[in-house]
Amino acid sequence: MKNSFPCFLFAAAGLLVAGCATYPDQATTRQIAEKMVFEAFSASPAHLKRLEQDRSQQICSKVGDAILSTEEAAEVVKLARDSIKYPASGQIVGDWKTGDMLAHDGAGDRIRDGKTENRKENGALCQNCHGLAPGEINVGNVGPALTGYGKQRGNSEAIAKYTYDKIYNAWVYFPCSNMPRLGATGHLTPEQVAHMVAYLIDPQSPINK
Amino acid sequence: MDTRLGIWAAAIAALQLAVIPPLFAQSGDPLAVGRKMLIEDNPGELWIDQGQALFYEKRGPKKVSLEQCDFGMGPGKLEGAAARLPRYFADTDRVEDLETRLLTCMTRLQGFDRNELVKTAISAPASKGSDIEALALFITSRSNGMKVNVSLNHQKEYEMYKAGEYLFYRRSGQTDFGCVQCHGEPGKRIRLQDLVHMTSKAGTQEVSSTWPAYRGSHYVVRTMQWRLNDCVWQMRLPDLKYATEYSIALTTFLNRQGNDAVIQVPGFKR
Repeated sequence: MKNSFPCFLFAAAGLLVAGCATYPDQATTRQIAEKMVFEAFSASPAHLKRLEQDRSQQICSKVGDAILSTEEAAEVVKLARDSIKYPASGQIVGDWKTGDMLAHDGAGDRIRDGKTENRKENGALCQNCHGLAPGEINVGNVGPALTGYGKQRGNSEAIAKYTYDKIYNAWVYFPCSNMPRLGATGHLTPEQVAHMVAYLIDPQSPINK
Repeated sequence: MDTRLGIWAAAIAALQLAVIPPLFAQSGDPLAVGRKMLIEDNPGELWIDQGQALFYEKRGPKKVSLEQCDFGMGPGKLEGAAARLPRYFADTDRVEDLETRLLTCMTRLQGFDRNELVKTAISAPASKGSDIEALALFITSRSNGMKVNVSLNHQKEYEMYKAGEYLFYRRSGQTDFGCVQCHGEPGKRIRLQDLVHMTSKAGTQEVSSTWPAYRGSHYVVRTMQWRLNDCVWQMRLPDLKYATEYSIALTTFLNRQGNDAVIQVPGFKR
C-alpha cells in the first residue's frame, strides 16, 4: 500500500499509468508460481509427480488467512472417505510392538540425488510431531500429544476404526489439518496403519502406561 | 586454517555433549544455553575473511575480482547491499537473491562455468566450505548492524513476492506439506528442534537477518539456499536445484516480511 501511493498520484495525474507496479491478481500469481515449481526440481517423471497437487491439496493450500468454505471442506472429507483402504486381511489392529518401532522412525520416502531412500519400509513419522509414551523427551509438538491415547478412549471396535481412518487419511475428520494423509499419499501401507492403531490403543503399549 | 577449524570442531562437539544432559529437565529448549554459548564465539567468523579474500582475488578464466559486481548499490559497493536483497536487476531483467547474483557475477565477470559452480555451491559437512558460502557470508556481513529493507517497486518484485507467499502455503507430495504446516504457529518443534514461526513478524525477522549461518552440527557455514534444500528434502519433494525462481520467490517473501530486522551474520544454528 505504501509503495503504491506515489504510483497512484502519478496515475491520477495521467502520467506513467502503464508503469505502475502492483501486486498481480490471484490467477496470475498462481500461474507464475506453479511454473516455478515445475522448473525448480531435477527429478524423474515418477518423482516429479510429487509436485503435482491432487484436488484436496489444491483446496487445502489456502493462502494467508483465506478460509476454507463449507463446500470445500465437504469435498475434502468426501475425497478422504473414498481414499481409505483396509488391509486385505480385514485386520485393522496390528502388532503394537511393530507400531512402536514405526512411530519412532522418522525416515523413508526422502529423495537425494534422484534416489529414494533405500529402506525396507517407511517410518510412520509420529515422533516428529507428537508426544508419545510418558517420559519420552525427544518428541515434537506440532500435533497434540498422544500420550495415554488408548487409556482415555479404550480399544473398542469403533475407536479402532476411527483411529485407523484418522491415520490413513486425517482429512476425513479434520479437513486440511496439518497432519499428512499417511495412508492416502502412499507413505504407509494399510498393514502399517494397522500396526499404528495397535500401538495407540493396545493397553500393553508403552503409550498407555 | 585447517588446524583452527579442527580445534573448533572438537570444542563444539565437546560443548554440545557437555550442555545437553542437565538441561533436559528444565526447558522446552534444552539446547538453548549451549547455543547461546556458541553464538558468543561463532566459528562462522572464520569464513568472513575467506570470503573477503575470494572477493578481491583475481579469479576465474577472465582473471578478475568481483569488485565490478553490482549487488544493487553500484559496482563493488557492499555496505547495506545484502539488506536489500532479493531485488530486481536491470542487467539480467530478473529478481535475484544474493546467491543468484553471485552466480551472475561469477559467470559473467569472472567466466566461471555455472554448472560447475552450482555443483559445489553447497559444501559437504565438516569441509572447508564452498567459495559461494564464504562469499555470501562476507557480502552479507557488510550489512551487519543494518536493517533489512526489501522493497517492492518493480513489477517483477511484486510478482516474486506474491509467488513466494503462494509457495509458502502450497501443499504437495507424500507428506502434504507446505512451509506453513511446520512454520505457521509459535512454540513448535520437530522432535527437539525449534521451528521458526514464520507467520509472525519476529519469526521472519529471524530468517531475514541470520543467514548465512554457522551450522554447529555440520561444522560449516550454510546459506539460505541450503536451508530451503534441506526443508524440501524433509518434505519428501525431489532435489531442489540451486538458485531457482522458486527459492528466490520464497526468500523474497520471507525477507520482505522480515524487514527492519538488524542483520547479524554469521547466525548460529544447531
